[in-house]
Amino acid sequence: MGEKEVLQGLKDMMKAVEADEAAFQNLALQLFQYQYRHNPPYRRFCQSRGRTPRIVKDWWEIPAVPMRAFKEATLSCNDPAEAEAVFMTSGTTRPGKRGKHVHPTLDIYNRSMLRNFRQRFMGARDVLSMGILFPRPETLPHSSLAHYLSLAVREFGGEHSSYLVDGEEVHFSRLLHFLREAERSGEPCALLGASFHFVHVMDFLEQEGLSFRLPEGSRILDTGGLKGQSRHVDPDVFYAGLAARFGVPRHRCINMYGLTELSTQFYDDGNETVPSKKSGPYWIRTRVIDPVSGEDVPYGETGVLVHYDLANVHSVLAVMTEDWGKAVEGGFILMGRAEGAEARGCSLAAEEFLRSSKG
Amino acid sequence: MEMWETAGYHPGLGETEVQWREQTFEQGGERRRVRVPVPDEKGLQRLVEVVRKNRQTDLASLSVSEVVHRIDQTVERLLDRNHPLRRRMEDWLPVVTGLAPDVIRTGLTASMKTFRKPQLLRWLAEDFGNPAMLDSFQPRVNGGFTRAISPHLLVHIWSGNVPGIPLWSLVSGLLVRSAQIGKVASAEPLMAGWFAQALEEVDPKLARCLAVVGWQGGDESRERLLFQEAEVVSAYGSNETLEAIQSRIPVTTRFLPHGHRFGLALVGKEALNPARVADVLRKAARDVAIYDQQGCYSPHCFYVEKGGVLSPRQFARMLAHELDIMQIRYPRRTLSPREIGEWNRWNQQAEWRALEGEEAEWIGGDGRFWSVAYEETGDASLLPTCLNRAVLVSAVNDLEEVAGRIAPFRAYLQTAGIAASSRRMFQLADRLAETGITRICALGHMTVPSSGWHHDGRPVLKDLVRLVDVEPSAEVAAEPHNPYSE
Repeated sequence: MGEKEVLQGLKDMMKAVEADEAAFQNLALQLFQYQYRHNPPYRRFCQSRGRTPRIVKDWWEIPAVPMRAFKEATLSCNDPAEAEAVFMTSGTTRPGKRGKHVHPTLDIYNRSMLRNFRQRFMGARDVLSMGILFPRPETLPHSSLAHYLSLAVREFGGEHSSYLVDGEEVHFSRLLHFLREAERSGEPCALLGASFHFVHVMDFLEQEGLSFRLPEGSRILDTGGLKGQSRHVDPDVFYAGLAARFGVPRHRCINMYGLTELSTQFYDDGNETVPSKKSGPYWIRTRVIDPVSGEDVPYGETGVLVHYDLANVHSVLAVMTEDWGKAVEGGFILMGRAEGAEARGCSLAAEEFLRSSKG
Repeated sequence: MEMWETAGYHPGLGETEVQWREQTFEQGGERRRVRVPVPDEKGLQRLVEVVRKNRQTDLASLSVSEVVHRIDQTVERLLDRNHPLRRRMEDWLPVVTGLAPDVIRTGLTASMKTFRKPQLLRWLAEDFGNPAMLDSFQPRVNGGFTRAISPHLLVHIWSGNVPGIPLWSLVSGLLVRSAQIGKVASAEPLMAGWFAQALEEVDPKLARCLAVVGWQGGDESRERLLFQEAEVVSAYGSNETLEAIQSRIPVTTRFLPHGHRFGLALVGKEALNPARVADVLRKAARDVAIYDQQGCYSPHCFYVEKGGVLSPRQFARMLAHELDIMQIRYPRRTLSPREIGEWNRWNQQAEWRALEGEEAEWIGGDGRFWSVAYEETGDASLLPTCLNRAVLVSAVNDLEEVAGRIAPFRAYLQTAGIAASSRRMFQLADRLAETGITRICALGHMTVPSSGWHHDGRPVLKDLVRLVDVEPSAEVAAEPHNPYSE
């Protein structure tokens, strides 16, 4: 089976309302076969694991590539030089060496994003005025989030949509203008961006003694998480803050969980309580595994998340994250990044060296 | 039935005058409990006064050779495998540290041996030239006199699970006749207290100049109090931990930080022939396996020279085999979930580098308690490793290249093990000395520093004392005031 057939199968699947187990299974195995054939490092990886297309009979047996592999190898079925986009990780774990996700075309990525975004964020609306708390794609050409947000604005953004970040800094006067206009117009709007920008904005508003009541139906989307920034913010405090500063109830404050290494995002249904349940569309599935044995942990127990994303057509569909989580009915709870170990003796370990060379 | 052991040593503070923190250790299905004495601030202040006063009355008046004699008698007891304290060490430390019983046993003997009388005398001579300067003013070659004054109070903050570390600290402090208070590491809280008990058997008065206790690391009020009283503070830990400690130490107190470091090894082509390589490999694997690379002297990387009968790639494969054999006699500790996470990340990186190209190889994977990555492009991104028997074998055209390769790690380097001819060993020593390496030794000796070593490049004992000079001018100026002066 070639690329065209796989792509067509996927497009058909994304048009459907829901897909059954058999459809997912079928397409996953076809895609695995295609990626095995066209991606030499991945093929060698599968061979070393003794899991080739002839042996793998179920989607969960497809060998999952650790995220670190995107830093070390070019995981692409096509020539990276001809790619429409190359998204890179921010390089927080190993300075200088960033994970690359090569997209020969963004067609499937965009379809996946738009369909999912409409369903999970837009609610019943076709258009919302969007204030974006993140740089434009021109500023960060290798950021998948910059692309994601620009896609959201392009497809669903109302005429008053505006980027509220200049370079990499929040433009506060433009932000205030956006918020005041939204309040005045009475039309629901949306604020979307990186979690840490929201933290900065809330600090600013607090300092200025300002808060807003965005019109009924307004929404907020934050992503990227609250850890690893200049200061740690408790998620409960964060969402309470959003509700208080912007007048957007917590059940309309949506958190998106996405990875540069994937082509599909996960969302929760608001953050009335934290941690919230994350889930994705039917073309992505998640297993929770024991990182040592690689086997599923008993249902409900904590393990490492492995995602099987059929929209990852041109790279690898099975990705093992460094995120811990646990399965719940209809989704999973994200518990955060696996932390490096503190050395037990007096020897320097990799993670400590990285922490110190970063800071 | 669960076994209990009491850590610490706190002269002048009764059982009920400290709180007790309980710790549980589990290894291979065995569960042991340790209780660690935690004095409150008032208790800590009392300990300071007690050990200081005891030092004044019982230790300050001893000559350095009398102290050496007592330490010698103490380690003689601990070298005796039938001595009750030594038995407790061999029984408890494998469970507490997770290290294999054979590693503990041989490690204990090796470190005790460095504290016997001849070794101590050599160490003193190394640091002071004339150790009598610890007792009284000694003449200097260029005129005048110098005396080494010991600190009233030396404070140690230990970390990690390598049992030898508290021994080095306590013996150094005794040699300079200082009162000492040590804070045990939660990873290994027992060794220091046992040493104090052994010393008590030899000379109870001397033992009562030491206190060994615990508290939650980073406890600001306790640490500020103690650092205010101390003349010298010596601490082990990550740079983050050390910075936090430093921020609490008055500028008038001397601070001796011991940050985490790592070692590496160099193997010359002359060592890579079939007749010699077996010995080299066995020693190399031993340096990796002992303490599971947790020591600051443990090797993370082997730089292996091309052009020998065996290639660096072959060396890597043979080293893997040798590490496999080590697992039989010295099984690796059980790793914590966080260590497993780090182990997986490092190995994934090594594996994918190997999958991407021919210049790299990775030997590891499921069911192995070691891991060897091989590379020949000079890429150092796998250094330092994730520890626990993960090594990088890096091929070099000439060992002279190594100095350039390790430059980025300058602040973190410590020991280099070398297998090469005499002439080249000294040439390499010159180059490595410039890069931050502070100790060069034979393979097989990396985890056993010799007595009197300059730990991280410093004279250990001399760093503890204050040197007081009587200048020649004082001598000359005193002359006219003598009654017999004309």
